[in-house]
Amino acid sequence: MIRVLLADDHVIVRAGLRRIIEESEDIKVIVEASNGREAIDFTLEHCPDVAVIDISMPGIDGLEVVSRLHAELPDLPLLILTMHEEEQYVVRAIEAGAMGYMTKKSAPEQLVAAIRKLHSGSRFLTEEAAELLALRVSRWSKGGSLLDSLSKRELQVLRHLASGHTNREIAESYHISIKTVDTYRGRLLKKLNLRNNADLSRFAIQNNLMGP
Amino acid sequence: MAQFLNKLESPGGNLRRIVSVLALLAFLSIVTGGILYVSFLQKAAVSEADHQAVNRIRIVARHLSNSLSENERPVKTLAGMARIVRALENTDIQATEEANLILDHFQKTLSADVCYLIDVTGLTIASSNRFFRDTFVGQNFGFRPYFQKAMEGNTATYLALGSVSEKRGVYSSHPVMGSEGALVGVAVIKASVEPLENSLSSRPEETVLVADPNGVVFISSKKQWLFKTLWPLGERETDMVRDSQQFGAGPWPWIGFRKTDSAGTVELDGARFLMHEEPIRFFPGWTAFYIQDEKAIFQRVSGNLFRVTGVVVITTIVLVGLLVFLLYTRALLEINRRMMAESALRQSEERYRAIYHNTPAMLHSINSMGLLVSVSDHWVKALQYEAGQVIGRPLADFMTLSSAKYLMDTMMPEFLRTGECVDVPYQFIKRNGEVMDVLLSAIADRDDAGNFVRSLAVSVDITEQKKAREALKQAQEKLSQHSRELERQVIRRTEEISSILKYTPNLVYIKDTAGRYIMINRRYEEIFGIRNEDVRGKTQHECMPKEYADAFQEVDLRVLEEKKPIHSEYIVRHDNEDHIHLSVKFPIYDEQGAIHAIGGISTDVTELKKTQEALRHLSNRMIISQEAERQAIARELHDELGQILTVLRMDAVWLRNRLKDADAATRERASAMCELIDKTIEDVRGIAVRLRPGVLDDLGLVDALEWYTSDFERRTGITCIFEHHNVPILGNTISTAAYRIAQEALTNVVRHAATDRADVSLFFEQGEFVLVITDSGVGYDASLMEASDGLGIAGMRERAMLAGGHLEVEAGSGKGSRIIFRVRVPGANKEI
Repeated sequence: MIRVLLADDHVIVRAGLRRIIEESEDIKVIVEASNGREAIDFTLEHCPDVAVIDISMPGIDGLEVVSRLHAELPDLPLLILTMHEEEQYVVRAIEAGAMGYMTKKSAPEQLVAAIRKLHSGSRFLTEEAAELLALRVSRWSKGGSLLDSLSKRELQVLRHLASGHTNREIAESYHISIKTVDTYRGRLLKKLNLRNNADLSRFAIQNNLMGP
Repeated sequence: MAQFLNKLESPGGNLRRIVSVLALLAFLSIVTGGILYVSFLQKAAVSEADHQAVNRIRIVARHLSNSLSENERPVKTLAGMARIVRALENTDIQATEEANLILDHFQKTLSADVCYLIDVTGLTIASSNRFFRDTFVGQNFGFRPYFQKAMEGNTATYLALGSVSEKRGVYSSHPVMGSEGALVGVAVIKASVEPLENSLSSRPEETVLVADPNGVVFISSKKQWLFKTLWPLGERETDMVRDSQQFGAGPWPWIGFRKTDSAGTVELDGARFLMHEEPIRFFPGWTAFYIQDEKAIFQRVSGNLFRVTGVVVITTIVLVGLLVFLLYTRALLEINRRMMAESALRQSEERYRAIYHNTPAMLHSINSMGLLVSVSDHWVKALQYEAGQVIGRPLADFMTLSSAKYLMDTMMPEFLRTGECVDVPYQFIKRNGEVMDVLLSAIADRDDAGNFVRSLAVSVDITEQKKAREALKQAQEKLSQHSRELERQVIRRTEEISSILKYTPNLVYIKDTAGRYIMINRRYEEIFGIRNEDVRGKTQHECMPKEYADAFQEVDLRVLEEKKPIHSEYIVRHDNEDHIHLSVKFPIYDEQGAIHAIGGISTDVTELKKTQEALRHLSNRMIISQEAERQAIARELHDELGQILTVLRMDAVWLRNRLKDADAATRERASAMCELIDKTIEDVRGIAVRLRPGVLDDLGLVDALEWYTSDFERRTGITCIFEHHNVPILGNTISTAAYRIAQEALTNVVRHAATDRADVSLFFEQGEFVLVITDSGVGYDASLMEASDGLGIAGMRERAMLAGGHLEVEAGSGKGSRIIFRVRVPGANKEI
């Protein structure tokens, strides 16, 4: 039985989530928190197997909660469950120590699977989030000035180019124009003082950018 | 000018030619003298040589004669000796042997070649060379003239080439008389000629020789000429010589001497020789010759000459040459100097003439009678006459009656006496009758005796001057009238300005550069409670509270330093209230362009400021409240409505999942419901985010702009590069302002820039947070757009000001645009 803490400031949302979770046999919501403060206190008190935390909460917000809990209980799997779809949140959540990130929209289909995954010690991230995570990790580990000079989008394009994707494929995956991809490619070559895609691939591998 | 120079040149050229010829002649005469001298010396040398040769040949001839005859006496003695006689009388061996001993003795004593005895048949019976291979004993010398002569009873001396010995010899013979007084034989002593020959000459250029009457050379200091002939031999003579057997068998070739025109000179192989001859005593027909090479004589002479006199002669020639050259140079210099002097004189004359005629002054000369003797071209022209019409006429003819009278009665006698006059006013009459006013100055030109020759006079036309003076006078009058008018205008204008100054609600003042008041207006007096009369000449520190004076002075100094008008604001307290005065101070320049005063006009803008402030406050409040409202609505939509929709979706999905087994229509309805809820959630999210993105409040400006630029790129297709560096944690006001400015600016890019590229950058430097939005588009006229504010620049500016910063807009047609938002963030930390 997986014991879960559910933190959300909306009662009806908690109720909805609880219904979804308890559809399953092996997961149980043991405690609910309606704000950040409670989320921290109840977690420390009840020691759940997985904590599911919303970002927008009055007082201490979900990211802060994750950050503090991660500091106190590094082994506790924390899942962010939020309305926000912007990748900026994803990055922050993972930086704060979350093991998973999920929008409430996808909860009915995926929440149970996500909790199970986290409980088994894996991460739960969308593909894009996983990629972002990889980029961030490599950036921290290296701390290289060259990498620092690259923007997030540039890192993304670099990864794709290094993986052998065409400009068109990259443009489609980020919903940007081919010309824009080419602009990023030009900036990458200039910033890294490289000449072609092969050089970019070598650079990406050497700097551990290709990710997990 | 060239022709003029040529004229000067030709006499100079002649002189030069003459000098050159003289120098040449001098040189030639010296050379001729030298040559004559040398040839004279040569002649003298030849004649000296001649003379010497005559002497020498005489001595030689005498010496030869003596030498050749020296054995005559010994042979006589020999012939008289008893044993010799006996040997010839008796043919026994002993007698012969005894004679032989005597012969040996003679031969040794005389150093003779051979001594021998010949019997009457000519047969040699005894000889000193009897033991030699070429012994004479047994030889018959009967054919020899010396034998034949001796047989006639005479002593003889004979020169011949030995027929046995092949040696030349001098044969001296004497008859030997028997005891009965009969001739029994001949005694002969043969001496060699070689010792004699060797003593003849030691010098190579002279030759001494002895020849027989036919010219056959028998003795010679030059061996190669022996047995050759001086002159060609005829056939008869050759036969004679051969027959005599005197000089062997021959032949006797001709040496080659030829006689020449001059006596005593012969020629051989083209060379000339002096030849002297002297007969040898006792040898009739035999002659001694003395031959000298003429060239050798000359060489000897000239060698001596040059050794002795050459240096003197050459030195003399060189010295004379130098002297000639020196004199020639001096002469040329002198010629040049004269030519230059002449040319200078001529030029000076020309110049004088040119000056006289070309000077734009009226020059003339008169004689003591008052008649014109010369006039300058200008004089003639000025009075409109022709040259040649005036010379010889009285000067008075060209004057008005009064001037003429004045000249003749007063000035002329005076001038003749003093010799000068200065600026005497006359009136000339031109040919066309016009009168010309002149001032005449003159000096007298006198000859050496002091007699007046002519005057040198210059007349200055002062007609124009007179007119000009008149015109000047009129102009001055006009000017003074004009200045009176100006003065009146100035007074009126001053009155106007004074009134303006007096009644204007503005403060007006003028200070000098040291800050002393020159003038203040009435309003100024009222506000500060001072009076114009009291403050004039005093500094602001003397009339004002210190805080005002300090503030005023600071701006005054800036005006002086920057030399341009400066706007400033002061807070002045009057009427129990702080008033804001907007002041413009400006430099006042003097006529040299230097600042001599500072003017100032201050306007009380307190009311205006208050209104502006109220407006801005209102505007800010509006912005803030609008922002707050947007935030509230966005949050409401996103959090409340969004959450409810989310829960609704959960239930709808649950329903749909439960209805898997229901009929198709129900299933479809459930699915459609889910989709509708999904879309509604998207819409609500979209509205909320566009009102105000949660990222900005939750994650801050950097994340918000990162999201916005990505979203912008996706929506518009314009590449938007976002960069940030060193950005600190920012307050809500600044973040909101920056976000909205970036949003507005990028919206402008989409609408106006017509480009596919925009850049947003955020950074922090020197305590200042900076946001820059650039595009590479077509740009726009910023001032125009700002005026109509189609770009919302006023809005951006207001937001910037609200955040405590300011906005810079750089845009030019065709250059793209750049919008910069700067705000100072005190004590901001760098964002980690």
